[in-house]
Amino acid sequence: MKFLRYMGSPLEIAAVGFAALMVLLAIIGPLIAPHDPYEVDFFNRFLPPSTEYFFGTDATGRDVFSRVLYGARLTLASALVVIVIVALIGIIIGVVSALSGGLVDDVLMRFTDIWLAFPPLVLAMGFAAAFGAGINAAILALIITWWPGYARLTRALIVETKDKDFIVAAKAMGIGKIRTIIFHLIPNSLDVLFVQLTLDVAAVILVISGLSFIGVGAQIPLAEWGAMIADGRSAMSRAWWVVFFPGLAILLTAVSFNLVGDILRRELDPALRRREF
Amino acid sequence: MNKETAKNVAVYIGQRVSLTAIALVVLSFMTFTLGQLVPGDAAVVAAGPNAGNERIAELRVEMGLDLPIHKQYGIYLSKLSRGDLGKSWFTHQPIWEDIKDRLPASAELVFLAMLLNVLISIPLGVLAATRFDSKIDGAIRLMVMAGAGIPIFWLGLILQHYVAGEAGWFPIAGRISFEYRDFSGSTGFLLIDTALQGEWQIFWDVLNHLFLPAITLATLFIAVVTRTTRSTVLRTLQEDYVTLARSKGISEYQVVVRHALRNALIPTITIFGMQIGWMLSTTILVEEIFSRPGIGKYAVKAITQSDIHGVVGVVLVMGVIFLITNLIVDIVHLFLNPRHRESVQGQ
Amino acid sequence: MKPSIRKFLVPIMALLLPTGVLAGPSGTLVIAENLTPENLDPANAQNSTVDQLMLGMYDTLVQFTAGETTVSPRLATDWSASADGLTHTFNLRNGVTFHDGSALTADDVCFTFDRNQAAGANALTDAGPYDSCNIVDDHTVQLNLSAPFGPFVSALGRVYIVNKDLVEPHMGDNFARTWLSVNEAGSGPYALKSYKPDDSVSMTAYPDYWGGWDGNHVAEVVFRVVPEASTQAALLKAGEVHIAPDLTIDDKIALQGKDGYITDIGAAATPLYFMINVQAGGPLSDKLFRKAIIMAVDIKALCDAVLQGFCAYPEGPMPSNWPGHVGGIYPEFDLEGAKKIIDDNGWAGTEVNLTFLPEEEIQQRASEMWQANLAKIGVTLNATGSTWPALYAAAQSLDTAPDAGGSSAFPPFPDPHGILYGLLHSSKMGINGGTNFSQYSNPEVDDRLDRAASSADQNERMKLYGEVQEIVGNDYIHVLVAQPASVVTLSDKVVGYKYNVAHHQTFNFMDIGLK
Repeated sequence: MKFLRYMGSPLEIAAVGFAALMVLLAIIGPLIAPHDPYEVDFFNRFLPPSTEYFFGTDATGRDVFSRVLYGARLTLASALVVIVIVALIGIIIGVVSALSGGLVDDVLMRFTDIWLAFPPLVLAMGFAAAFGAGINAAILALIITWWPGYARLTRALIVETKDKDFIVAAKAMGIGKIRTIIFHLIPNSLDVLFVQLTLDVAAVILVISGLSFIGVGAQIPLAEWGAMIADGRSAMSRAWWVVFFPGLAILLTAVSFNLVGDILRRELDPALRRREF
Repeated sequence: MNKETAKNVAVYIGQRVSLTAIALVVLSFMTFTLGQLVPGDAAVVAAGPNAGNERIAELRVEMGLDLPIHKQYGIYLSKLSRGDLGKSWFTHQPIWEDIKDRLPASAELVFLAMLLNVLISIPLGVLAATRFDSKIDGAIRLMVMAGAGIPIFWLGLILQHYVAGEAGWFPIAGRISFEYRDFSGSTGFLLIDTALQGEWQIFWDVLNHLFLPAITLATLFIAVVTRTTRSTVLRTLQEDYVTLARSKGISEYQVVVRHALRNALIPTITIFGMQIGWMLSTTILVEEIFSRPGIGKYAVKAITQSDIHGVVGVVLVMGVIFLITNLIVDIVHLFLNPRHRESVQGQ
Repeated sequence: MKPSIRKFLVPIMALLLPTGVLAGPSGTLVIAENLTPENLDPANAQNSTVDQLMLGMYDTLVQFTAGETTVSPRLATDWSASADGLTHTFNLRNGVTFHDGSALTADDVCFTFDRNQAAGANALTDAGPYDSCNIVDDHTVQLNLSAPFGPFVSALGRVYIVNKDLVEPHMGDNFARTWLSVNEAGSGPYALKSYKPDDSVSMTAYPDYWGGWDGNHVAEVVFRVVPEASTQAALLKAGEVHIAPDLTIDDKIALQGKDGYITDIGAAATPLYFMINVQAGGPLSDKLFRKAIIMAVDIKALCDAVLQGFCAYPEGPMPSNWPGHVGGIYPEFDLEGAKKIIDDNGWAGTEVNLTFLPEEEIQQRASEMWQANLAKIGVTLNATGSTWPALYAAAQSLDTAPDAGGSSAFPPFPDPHGILYGLLHSSKMGINGGTNFSQYSNPEVDDRLDRAASSADQNERMKLYGEVQEIVGNDYIHVLVAQPASVVTLSDKVVGYKYNVAHHQTFNFMDIGLK
């Protein structure tokens, strides 16, 4: 992979490391969590951080550290689901639009234009209110609001690539259209798409935790970081740790994925113009 | 601008306006669909609790629930054109009235956040670009990174609890101090009204209540604009005409401000325009934390109460505001940027 | 000054001073409220956020003074009932005026009752089998019932009399609900000054109030909407609010006994239930399943650790400190026993949907605890936060009614009927527009409740209510989450606050003065 070539400053190494750590925790977190994140024990409420409870306990006596670990899986898995489905939908529509050209292209792009005008938070909130609260509703809402960006990006990339020499050559050689799309057009655009995906992981995490904070996303007792912050809000004066650690987790995760995305972008095409969409 | 360009520009504007009109229709269709998605009988939902059967039957007819769906959409559209967004379940008042009353509070918040954005991000961006690769540049880039990744609601809570609560430097919540609660003005925008009436103590009080929410709201956007300004200024500084200016012996200050900045700022202005809509939507989080009576807080309350018409009303109003600000920004951009003007063909 | 005037000045001042020259309300009382007052319509007075405003702006025929358990005269000076209990006659007080200056007469009283009846107001349906109202003369009213109802007069504490002249013109618009939601038409001690539901509601003393203004009263009352518990605490400490009822329990305990604060503990009789929808279908319609999931709630831990002792152990649907309470019929907390029931019947994997009210901290903690325990016995609990009006609306149809709903009983009068009827009678099922969110319909229970309602024999009534509790105890329709005390933290500048058993979560601001 190209990005391993240049790992620059200690900050960038740290960012990549942290992002990788988060992914690892998302996979094995629940296995290494010292306590059950859902075990209610009212007699251990609001214990400060200690060797037993690294990040202290919350209002129902649950271990904040274990919940942050479980939250990593929840948060990253949700973001991944959103991103993957959004990318799939976007790529399909983008390819269709780019290769059809003409009216179909126009209509689809106008449609995505309109969709792109709305910030995800409001639309997601509207859909979540209609579907009912819950993490699945929030994920669905985000998918509905996020795909246009990828459609536009893919279309722009395909349009730029399809007239390139090697595609024309492929056609001349008689390689079928579908094969061209799958094996030549799309892979050529994957790099740029991947950068956008990485950057969007951070954005999706911020929106999902925001939705959970206001009560629309993850419901109790899920250990979603935004929901944990909402829960600990009334106790900030006596238990700062309930709000602090989940928030720190969001911050560090978002920042590290942003940085990784930046590194990727710089590595892929430092000289070429960045594609705006 | 010559005739050819003028014609293209006019055509372009025409297209953007009609695109916006279509977008508004799409928006209305979407909110109509949202309203239909709610489980249960729509008339019962609209009637709210305590409604008698008569009232429900009345609503059933009024909403045309027994008509085919496209007729229902027609009724919905005609209501929208009259500004009828339905009635709130609980207050029994027209939702448009409820939203209209709360818009000024949110508008003031967005305005101050935007102001802070402009005042902070452009100087920071320029500073970072001109001191490229220095410690200052590094520090600014670090701040930008943190600002782009910080959850706004978390930041707000921390600021509220420590800066306002413990240190007491700012008020904890609300739009105005309790002692001034009876103040009212003609526009509904407290900053304007207090200034008009010369009530400078109250003006300052309102500003005090705005500061923490505004800085919370602006953080993410400041990060984005600082980064954009930095990169566009950097790029502009490498352009030929800048090298030319430098070779002519023009001072660095002149080079930066009069030549580079002016050109770098144009894309930035477009971004500011788009951010207005984004900021308005983010008020949902900020107003909840600081207990400000704006449409963001109204939206959260509507969600908690399952008042779907209230939520849909907010989505609709915010959507309209986005579309119109985007249109205005587009047109302004056209007039500001000669290159963009020239490049506009009938698309 | 001329000597002649001076001669009079001294006796005049001597007359004035003992009574307090400044007799008359003064000061502004600020009360924090964590919920938006739903609206100003007296027809919605069963909702406490509305009721607390009604108490100031309107008058009733009779009312419970805070601290007392029987009604005293208000608009009615005296009353009597016919021998068959079907006709109640009330003599109205002279000289009562509405805030607009017009006189309050029997016409307004009958209009109010008619309007409530037409609009289906719960405040009136709680008052029993009301039938009609007759105007005998300007100051005499007859209220007719279709069946005798013992607690009828007590129930009138929630029927707020409106000004017919102001309200009648709007009856065409949803029975004046739209107009009355944002306007007031009352005769009470305080008149509405401003209503900004997200922000604050303020009222100012009505100078011509029939009750007069002797004693220490406030000139203005402001309800300040502060949804966050920690913000309420900060405002109380800063002296910006005088009463902060929604602090976290930990904050309330921390301030107890501290200088500058009063902690008032009212003997509340407001049990909190998770009402299980018996008509939900599936295992929920089987009372053995319901028993099992009820056994998964550790109510002692909730009382001891969460409410930290400011509670009583609930042992049945009635408050434990009330006459007629029957104890010992509620299943004990027993996770193993519950698991056995679930396993024996193959109910593992069942999903239950709970709607709770996060505005009450105890509900959220109880939900989380129930979730954790049910998970241990193989049942999945999906918990969603909502508000009381939304829950009430959802319960009106079986399509939208949750499997369990968190709701407290706020008895409108201190009598078993005030709790048990709305909770258990089939006419009060959620789908009938009532507060029986369990959708429970049992003719045996209905029969006893109706008989107790129309009986005047206290012994017979208590016996019937006892039987009701036993029957219901064996049907397992509620989780008895808690019986919390009313703990209110006030600034010590507040003089005269007393808890009112008939108006839970309200404040007797009309009797309060500031030091």
